[in-house]
Amino acid sequence: MLSFSSYFSSGYLAVYLPVCVLLYALAGQRGRRVVLLLFSAVCFWAVSGKLIAYLLLSTLSIHHFGLWLSDVQDRSKAELAAAPKEERKALRARAQTHQRWILALGLSIQFGILLVLKYSPFAVTNLNNLFSALGLSYSLRVPRFLLPIGISFYTMQAASYLFDVYRQKCSADRNLFRLALFLGFFPQVMEGPICRYGQTAHQLWEAPPLRYQNFMLGLQRMSYGLLKKMIIADRLNLLIKNVFTHYENYDGIAIAVAAVCYTIQLYMDFSGTMDLAVGAGQIFGFQLPENFQRPFFSRTIPEFWQRWHITLGTWFKDYIFYPLSMSKPLKKLTSKARKRLGSHYGPLVAGTIALFCVWVCNGLWHGSAWSYLFFGMYHFALILLGNLTQPVTDKLTGALHISRTSLPYRCFQIVRTGLLVCIGELFFRANGLRAGLAMFERMVTASTLEPLRNGTIFQIGMSRKDFFIVALLLGAIFVIGLLQERGIHLGTRLAQALIPVRFVVYYGVILALIIFGAYGDGYVPVDPIYAGF
Amino acid sequence: MTYCKRILAWLVFLAGLLGLLLLASRICIPKNNDSLSGMEQARANGILAEPPESIDILVLGDSEAYTSFSPLLLWKDTGYTSYTCGTNSQRLPYTKTMLERALEKQRPKLVILETLAIYRPIKLDSIASDEAAKYLPVFRYHNRWKDLHWNDFTTAPITATEQAPYKGHTHNETVDPCLNVDYMAPTQEPAATIPLVNQYYVNAIQELCEDYGAQFLLLSTPSPVNWNYARHEGIAAFAQEQGYEYLDLNLENVGIDWTQDTFDKGDHLNHFGAVKVTKFLSNYLRGKDGLIDHRSDPAYGDWNDKLKAYENLISH
Repeated sequence: MLSFSSYFSSGYLAVYLPVCVLLYALAGQRGRRVVLLLFSAVCFWAVSGKLIAYLLLSTLSIHHFGLWLSDVQDRSKAELAAAPKEERKALRARAQTHQRWILALGLSIQFGILLVLKYSPFAVTNLNNLFSALGLSYSLRVPRFLLPIGISFYTMQAASYLFDVYRQKCSADRNLFRLALFLGFFPQVMEGPICRYGQTAHQLWEAPPLRYQNFMLGLQRMSYGLLKKMIIADRLNLLIKNVFTHYENYDGIAIAVAAVCYTIQLYMDFSGTMDLAVGAGQIFGFQLPENFQRPFFSRTIPEFWQRWHITLGTWFKDYIFYPLSMSKPLKKLTSKARKRLGSHYGPLVAGTIALFCVWVCNGLWHGSAWSYLFFGMYHFALILLGNLTQPVTDKLTGALHISRTSLPYRCFQIVRTGLLVCIGELFFRANGLRAGLAMFERMVTASTLEPLRNGTIFQIGMSRKDFFIVALLLGAIFVIGLLQERGIHLGTRLAQALIPVRFVVYYGVILALIIFGAYGDGYVPVDPIYAGF
Repeated sequence: MTYCKRILAWLVFLAGLLGLLLLASRICIPKNNDSLSGMEQARANGILAEPPESIDILVLGDSEAYTSFSPLLLWKDTGYTSYTCGTNSQRLPYTKTMLERALEKQRPKLVILETLAIYRPIKLDSIASDEAAKYLPVFRYHNRWKDLHWNDFTTAPITATEQAPYKGHTHNETVDPCLNVDYMAPTQEPAATIPLVNQYYVNAIQELCEDYGAQFLLLSTPSPVNWNYARHEGIAAFAQEQGYEYLDLNLENVGIDWTQDTFDKGDHLNHFGAVKVTKFLSNYLRGKDGLIDHRSDPAYGDWNDKLKAYENLISH
């Protein structure tokens, strides 16, 4: 069997995708739809086998509940139109309740599957711990389930569709196959981006003919992702694995280096995967939403989360943060708090409650473990602290005559945000919360410069030359990012360049991948990190 | 750009890429067969430095092949020259590659394939990358960019000079006993299935042997961790169907004492186990077609020197 455990496997890159593109290019519009659907099913099957039943169940479920919601909405509209004015309010309220129940039922199927498969082992383990702490001899059997690939991603998409139909942002889709393609489109099903129905469903179903320019731009984008993953993320893996597995053997500075390396690895792995997903979409002529916008140029933690895993952040904002902060109880709380605490701190109270819920969900979305919850709470605390201290910071910078737009201050903010993110990722990657705390303690209390002076830092899994090649490529990515921040997109310019220039760049990229790629003997490519969430 | 120009541009691009990859391969390929020169699996590839047509028996397979069988002890008992090209977790595509490499200079009379590799799963994409690496070694040796010297740009590819001291075998006298001694009791379990891809590779290896006039023997070396009756039945049925000779030492009276003869709880044999297996094989192979006792042949004097060094090691 062709191994297809990630978008970086040769099975996917050399066989699945090229064959799909070829068949897509040869087929008519209907045929192109069939090709996309078929390959989406085959790819899902290749990774998760029979667990594809869960994806089918989700698809059937949102199809049914979407139509049910739409039916109720149509009927209520007709009833409202026919009803006398004085009855309309009651009718509207009844229809609203009815729709809420349907939405809740539909969502409970989607999230129910996710909760049972992903979170029940964590919940039962904690219950057993509680029983034992209370001195009870009773314990429950910890269930173990196989998770279909990308369940956390497609469940979010499925839920967003139901929300959007409920809110009448989109109309319910009668075409089951279009919904199936929206949920299971193979370049994005494993790790996102988490698309909205309005963003992708219709353009996927449109299945435009293949265009050479899209094809080349897509290939360029995919090559960029491959560089990130194969040269940086996979190369950093040995050092990260060694330090995080046996942190007690290493100096605090090695732990700090590993934390920074892990943050880089996570970014390179995930954004590289997104380059592959968006690039593959681009080959077919689809515009998938971007998930990253150079997050390490962020000056604050909230800005970081607007640039990192954007589609997850906007999902939480649209379907948890806003509905909660706009709910009646929190609105009431805001108006009361505003009177007592003023216009800055007043609205913060309700916002903080909604934010807390978002970060609990965000932490747990990444995995069912306390360390992930801690990760969520860490970022919640940082954002809250930033909100609380904002007036003080404003006053302080004003008093000290520090220009908040000056380059040094911006650089300070960017470095500070980067370091805070690295600390969060240390807990995120550590083997459990206790290990994370122990690593952090060691990093703060037992750091010396010795490993850098005597060169032992280069014996943990990465030599000087490995560090050099990583630094070189990171430098190139930094420059590309800087240009993108200024609105200059090298990919588009390259596509318009003279053939010899293009050839040189393409040869350079391919040779860099083959020669400097961390594959073969001595390397263990990192498993797609976000596919596990 | 017109359609034809586009195709032409692609053809020129691909031709240029192929040229660059060939150049990179020439630079990256090790210039000798030792690990210092960057050779992969240097012990097994020591076969490249053996004098031409000097090896009678070639043993292929994974770690079972190089731990269970000692070519120098076989030499001592029979005067047959042998070499074990076993490597860790060897998969059959690589087994075939090792055989092809060995056959460039050697004309063995007998090729033995240790059977554990036959059950190791083979991914189709790993076959593709292995095949690509055969023609463009840069895929296998790309990591040598860290150790390139000036002579990598000027010297022609491999001049093999480094022989492995024990002819591919590894010596280990550690003892870590195994408790599971009844692992070969016949069961009602169905015979283990050999995947079709694996069957294809065994047949391809046998055909290669046939082309070069070598006999082919399937051999299962003793290992409670890796072997069982179902696996035996699977290989036995396959061998019978294809007409291959098969010898399962797990069922023969080799005299393995699992409290003494393994260094890792029955996964692999140690030196004491290898002595018993080699002894058994010496008797089994003695007088087989085409095998000649070279002990009195001065051209093979180096084997006696190597044996002496090996015995010194054992006595210490």
